[in-house]
Amino acid sequence: MTEELVVNIGPSHPSTHGVCRMVTTLDGEIVRHVEVVIGHLHRGIEKMAENRTYLQVVPLTDRLDYVGSMYANWAYCRAVERLAGIRVPERAEYLRVIVCELQRIASHMMSVGPAGADVGATTAFMYTFAQREQVVDLFEQLCGARLTYNYVRPGGVSMDVPEGWVDNVRAFCRSHPSAMAEVDRFLFGNVIARQRMKGIGVLAPEDAVAWGASGPVARGSGVSWDLRRDDSYSVYPRLDFDIPLGSNGDCYDRARVRLWEAIESCRIIEQALDQIEPGPVMAEAVPRLITPRPGEAYDHIEGARGSLGVYLVSDGTPRPYRMKVRSPAFCNLALVPMLAEGHTLSDLVVILGSLDPVFGEVDR
Amino acid sequence: MSFLWGMLWGVAAVMVIAGGAIVGVWWERKVSARIQLRLGPQQIGPAGSLQMVADVPKLLFKEDIIPAAADEPFFRYAPLAVFAPIAMSVAVIPFATGWAPFDATAGALFFLAVPSISVLGILFSAWASHNTLSAIGGVRAAAQMVSYEVPRSLSVLSVLVLAGTLRPVAVMDAWEWWWIPATFVGFIVYLISSIAEMNRGPFDIPEAESELVAGYFADYAGIRWAVFMMGEYGGMIAASLFGAAMFLGGFRLLPGAWGVVAFIAVGAVLMTIIMWMKWTFPRLRQDQLMTFCWTILTPIAIVQLFAAGVIAAWL
Amino acid sequence: MAVDENRLPVPETVSDEYAPGVKGFMQGARSLLTGLGITASASTRKPITVRYPQEKVTVSDRWRGALQLKGALGRDEIDLVSAPPHEYNAKIDGLYRNDRLSPCTGSCPANVDARGQAFLIADGRIPEAYELVRERNILPGVLGRICHHPCESACRRNRYDEPISIRLLHRFAYEEYRKVAAERIKPLPKTRDQRVAIIGSGPSGLAAAYDLMSLGYTVTMYEREAQPGGALSTGVPSYRLPRDVLYGEIADLVALGLDLRCETEVGKDVMLSSIMRENDAVLLAVGLQDSRILPLPGTHADGVVGALEFLWAANNLGDAGVKGRRLLVIGGGNVAVDVARCALRVGATEVRLSCLESDQEMPCHPWEIEEAVDEGVIAMCSMGPVEVLSEDNQVTGMRMKPCLSVFDETGRFSPTYGEDTQDIETDVVVFAIGQAARLDSLVSGTDLLVSGRGQLVVDGADGTTSVPGVFACGEVVTGPGSAINSVATGHEAATSIHRQLEGRSLTEGRIARPVPVYEKYAPVDMEYVEPDRRRAVVTLADPDERATDFRPVESGLTKEQAMAEAARCLRCESEVCVGCTFCARTCPDFAIKVERTDQPGARCLTTYELDLTKCCFCGLCAEQCPTGALQHTGQYELSFYHRDLMTFDKGEMLRSDQGSRATGLDGITSPVCPAPRTGPGERP
Repeated sequence: MTEELVVNIGPSHPSTHGVCRMVTTLDGEIVRHVEVVIGHLHRGIEKMAENRTYLQVVPLTDRLDYVGSMYANWAYCRAVERLAGIRVPERAEYLRVIVCELQRIASHMMSVGPAGADVGATTAFMYTFAQREQVVDLFEQLCGARLTYNYVRPGGVSMDVPEGWVDNVRAFCRSHPSAMAEVDRFLFGNVIARQRMKGIGVLAPEDAVAWGASGPVARGSGVSWDLRRDDSYSVYPRLDFDIPLGSNGDCYDRARVRLWEAIESCRIIEQALDQIEPGPVMAEAVPRLITPRPGEAYDHIEGARGSLGVYLVSDGTPRPYRMKVRSPAFCNLALVPMLAEGHTLSDLVVILGSLDPVFGEVDR
Repeated sequence: MSFLWGMLWGVAAVMVIAGGAIVGVWWERKVSARIQLRLGPQQIGPAGSLQMVADVPKLLFKEDIIPAAADEPFFRYAPLAVFAPIAMSVAVIPFATGWAPFDATAGALFFLAVPSISVLGILFSAWASHNTLSAIGGVRAAAQMVSYEVPRSLSVLSVLVLAGTLRPVAVMDAWEWWWIPATFVGFIVYLISSIAEMNRGPFDIPEAESELVAGYFADYAGIRWAVFMMGEYGGMIAASLFGAAMFLGGFRLLPGAWGVVAFIAVGAVLMTIIMWMKWTFPRLRQDQLMTFCWTILTPIAIVQLFAAGVIAAWL
Repeated sequence: MAVDENRLPVPETVSDEYAPGVKGFMQGARSLLTGLGITASASTRKPITVRYPQEKVTVSDRWRGALQLKGALGRDEIDLVSAPPHEYNAKIDGLYRNDRLSPCTGSCPANVDARGQAFLIADGRIPEAYELVRERNILPGVLGRICHHPCESACRRNRYDEPISIRLLHRFAYEEYRKVAAERIKPLPKTRDQRVAIIGSGPSGLAAAYDLMSLGYTVTMYEREAQPGGALSTGVPSYRLPRDVLYGEIADLVALGLDLRCETEVGKDVMLSSIMRENDAVLLAVGLQDSRILPLPGTHADGVVGALEFLWAANNLGDAGVKGRRLLVIGGGNVAVDVARCALRVGATEVRLSCLESDQEMPCHPWEIEEAVDEGVIAMCSMGPVEVLSEDNQVTGMRMKPCLSVFDETGRFSPTYGEDTQDIETDVVVFAIGQAARLDSLVSGTDLLVSGRGQLVVDGADGTTSVPGVFACGEVVTGPGSAINSVATGHEAATSIHRQLEGRSLTEGRIARPVPVYEKYAPVDMEYVEPDRRRAVVTLADPDERATDFRPVESGLTKEQAMAEAARCLRCESEVCVGCTFCARTCPDFAIKVERTDQPGARCLTTYELDLTKCCFCGLCAEQCPTGALQHTGQYELSFYHRDLMTFDKGEMLRSDQGSRATGLDGITSPVCPAPRTGPGERP
């Protein structure tokens, strides 16, 4: 037994996917203990929301999960709509589904590629970023922003699609699956990547459930749970899609589930584009200053990282009395010490990457 | 007098390697950029070709930072200890008929032995940095470089057995075209173990950007960092040229002065292949790397050596 | 849903494994070659980055870059919506297409520029404001009393707090204009030798007359009654519309050159055919004269009256024969409410109003029925009449039954009734269920066609009738409607006449007045609105007192009130910042500071500061800017030499797109606010 070495990974480190500090105790190369220190990106968004009107909170939710802003927008707006009793027009629901599936692609590209970068294949990162860039361009055409969209609003969406946008989305959905198949061959078919990711950080299905893991992390372990299907919301019941599942629960499965979800999202978008009809994109007569009756509401959606829930309490004033975000990234991140212990230092970064944490959402 | 000549040759070798590194870095940035759907440097000079020329003064003028906790003398001179052996190894490469900068009788042995001194420099830098990530990188580098010496030497030996001499110039004189197929497996082993020797991807475990940030030279900046990079590119140039000479016929591919051009071109192609592999493959893990070395590469190299020995005896 | 042939099916499980043994080893070795092949082929593709000097990053039209102001109060005037009558629609259409039409103007049937009115009043230029309104609404003072003001419902200020009191500003402008009317009114020059005759002096006829006069025609107007004004004179109760206002404004029109001939009934005193001979065009603006009475049993009895007859008697005689009697009004429209309120004033002891619709669906304006109920009218909603009960040919009561629903699923009028009936005791029954035209004597001796239902055959869009050169407008075309609607048809008819007399096609290149659909505003919770943001309120006379006579119910605005009210106008779609502060209120990061001053003649945006260090580029401010003055630019390289430069002041915000401080150049000086005007009669 050699002397144990304590290594600080982060908070400023290339592979912490944000600002996270991992106090790692090493025995040689073997990780004996990891302590994840979070809070470096804490901005008090939940507290800030108490001093903002319901509309002003939407830009704050952009900054929760900054890789998947549309999801935070949507989850928050669903809670507000539930609280204030606002009925969203159908076109707006379809647009929300379309932008959120595009967001799922963009967000998963931000996870699949770095999964390659974590094992040293930086080129896979660039290939997925080329795809993400297309999605982000679509978002820019749609709402003028590339990262913090502020697009989904209580009562609908902020504006209708620009001319030609639907064609651009269709073109993207046609080209995206083949690009994904290439990334699949390039990264997930590669023998070295397989050796690095297979059998690493195995999460048993029962552990996934017990630790509250959700999204691709749980589905990588074979837990067939997806709010889009199991607590179907919006227009998802009218859409036909499959949910990819892993069977081993290792880093490889978690990462590849995301890749297949990104392919399946294209199918959802195409169906939604077929079904969408012209109409208003904002509910009629949503007041500028939303003042719900006193009460509380919780609503959750299937974000890119799992079940993203927002809990709101209203005291009858135009500002929320309390906002709480159920952040999937936070719950998934709790798995790191359990998964990493006994693996090597090199595997630790792969495990962290496979959980795909976004620290804006973890720390809030 | 011979000392002065040696000095002169040393300066020339450094200049050649530095120039090669400048071209090599530009080329690698271009190659990696195109592989990654990017453009690479494009602002300074045609196609960004003067980017590195501009970078050198920048690196020279950067602040020379030495961490407070570092062991200063070792930290200062470790880059030289890494670079100097690699620069020396270039001297024995045969460039033209009967001519190498340093025509040593045991030149091949010199080429294989001297660069491995640089592992000491890496250990110095790693330990002197007084940084946990650097220390891990240094230890990884030592284990990796010492291990990969074995298959690398064995693969070169198979050519030397065919030639019956350790003198690179003599090997080139004795070269026949059928040596290429006969030692092809040895060439592959040589290429892979050379990549591992110079800590390049997919064997860049000691620097492992995503784990150890930059490994043993994480704390280096400015010109000291640049010397490390020159060492890496120098190693790449030396290995490519030596491989081109020993396994692929070097200047014997074409007659006369064209042979030298062909030799440089083949070396450049080998360098490009090394870059191509780096930007394509993921990185192995430490234990996988060692397993690969001892259970796959070394046996294959031994088999190649045995085959070469049989051919040599049969002739 | 058909399965897409090209689709990649999701595998059963994503964790695919290499085959065991040698085959797996070969798969692994092949994967390395595949990887090299993919990177090699990728290197031949088009890069996704840009070649910087040659190609530049372009941003989408919706790009949310740094903000700028298009214009500012005190520096930029707004364009007043003003055009000759025959070009006005095209002007409105152009504004509408460019999203520059303010909701008040767009929703007004006559497209009165209420935004311009508020701009001029707030600036102290009140006579100009009156004349601007008069261009499209010939009777601003009258409509300032009785208009149902769709403009106020569309006013964008509804979204933030309360709408501008546009109607009261009309009234205020009229009252101020009276002081200077004598010096400002000059006869309009008669530049053309064609003559036009207009039958009827109601709002539509007057509007057409003014348009035609301003185009230079000679206009003669015939009126049957002793006093002009049509239904405004005979029908609208004087507690709502004092007659001096009406006659004063018509007198202005006479002073402008109108040849008004009262007590001249066309068809009796002078024949329409002779008018047609003497004039180049004739406009029938005769309105509706007959009250409709339901064909129920007992309606022949004494005490059953039509609404128009009742109102005429109440207004012109001051006694409709109901003093001390009970009265029941059948109908739920504005006329019915007028009848009910007049009945109280002429001495009815008990006034009931019954209608088919429920209290939510009543077709009258909600504030009308509210005021009526305050005065003591008893509203009986969801009741349908069955039979008039009478004794000795004298009304004693009305049998009613409950009405379950008025409209069917498709929205057509198709009432359904309950079974049980109820008898209401009453002495007089007034039917206020609509009016019809009386045309027989008018059209006699001409070729004008009258339909089987007694209606004039008219093409509603152009106002042409079956005889060339004869046009029609007003309620005789549209059926019962609002005064401002009649005014609008008058403008259309005037345009048709002008085109006809110029020999042009009536339809070619003519733009129908665009009718934008404005969003419905959600009611604003007034609890969170500061008192100084609320609209001006006028006092209503005490209900118990006002119900006894015909004095005006509503008082007008004082000058201070009116100017403050006009200053509340957001000048929607003008692209001139009025300093309404709603951007600052909407900003989630409190990055905007706005101040303005409201001195007459020196109204100015004094401060506009945008702190880019706080701005999160969410776009909420620009999105809700009512004027469209606050807009995003395409800037994305926001780098500065100094942190202080990141606060954009008013001068910086008003800079054009090219070369703002964001590109490293210095800021520019803010435009200076104008000095307050201190002319005679102005506040300091």
